[in-house]
Amino acid sequence: MSIITRAIASADREARYLSSGELQAIRDFYEAGPQRLRIASILSENEPQIVQLGSQRFWQRCPYTPSNSGNPTFRASCMRDQGWYVRLIVYSVIVGDIEPLQRIGVNGAKEMYTSLEIPLRNLVEALRCLKEVALEMMTVEDASEVAPYFDYLIQGMMP
Amino acid sequence: MQDAITALINSSDVQGRYLDNASVQKLKSYFESGEMRARTAIAISANATSLVTRAVAQSLMYTDITAPGGNMYTCRRYAACIRDLDYFLRYATYAMLAGDPSILDERILNGLRETYNSLGVPIGATIRAVQAMKDVTTDLVGAEAGKEMGVYFDYIAAGLS
Repeated sequence: MSIITRAIASADREARYLSSGELQAIRDFYEAGPQRLRIASILSENEPQIVQLGSQRFWQRCPYTPSNSGNPTFRASCMRDQGWYVRLIVYSVIVGDIEPLQRIGVNGAKEMYTSLEIPLRNLVEALRCLKEVALEMMTVEDASEVAPYFDYLIQGMMP
Repeated sequence: MQDAITALINSSDVQGRYLDNASVQKLKSYFESGEMRARTAIAISANATSLVTRAVAQSLMYTDITAPGGNMYTCRRYAACIRDLDYFLRYATYAMLAGDPSILDERILNGLRETYNSLGVPIGATIRAVQAMKDVTTDLVGAEAGKEMGVYFDYIAAGLS
């Protein structure tokens, strides 16, 4: 849900038009749109590199983990999932809301990884590495726009 | 409910993809039209009652429908009619802000034709009123914004017919 659908839904519950405060918030959101698209394109264009560098950093910190055990399937699925998380963060940056990340990638994720016998502690570390390498590619300002989504994701995976 | 942004994200996610160039261009022009959308919403909300009044005057008031035996005869039915037109205008305004018609399906159109048929509300006259609403709204907000609102009024009319 973007701030737009959120404001519309709350106006609709009261059968009214949007207030000038709500419309001002939506205006600001429209105005910041091109910046969010620019940040999203940095992330999506560099996804393979972010995943590559993030994984290497992760395996240095957590060498004993399924994805570093020599099993190519584990390795590939770990990197695939990291790519997916970058994509979900891109969606969230564009919408300006955690909703896509939450709905697609966080709800039920802990249970899923636990049943797959992925150690959550290591997963959290992998996501921290992903965050670090992604933010290192950006200006401080852009990074501050993206960091909360990574934080939300990391928080959601905490064992 | 979706908006122009979440609609594109949902369809990209189903394919597991990033937004392609065409989608990004769509979003860019949506953001660029944001100021126009916000201004239009303000103008409509300030004039909602008079827009409905004028639309009814243009399309229904002086026809048989308001005469005895017509479907807007008795004040109660007249009131129900303008209440529905009020809804149409408000939801069309929401959809215009969102840049996406899905809220019209969810909140208005699903089951509406069946409801109107069972109540004996004439669909043709309703569509004429929606068209009139499009005209009076365009008079108020100007051609560019009127065209955008027209998309959603047309969507309502198409959903009824």
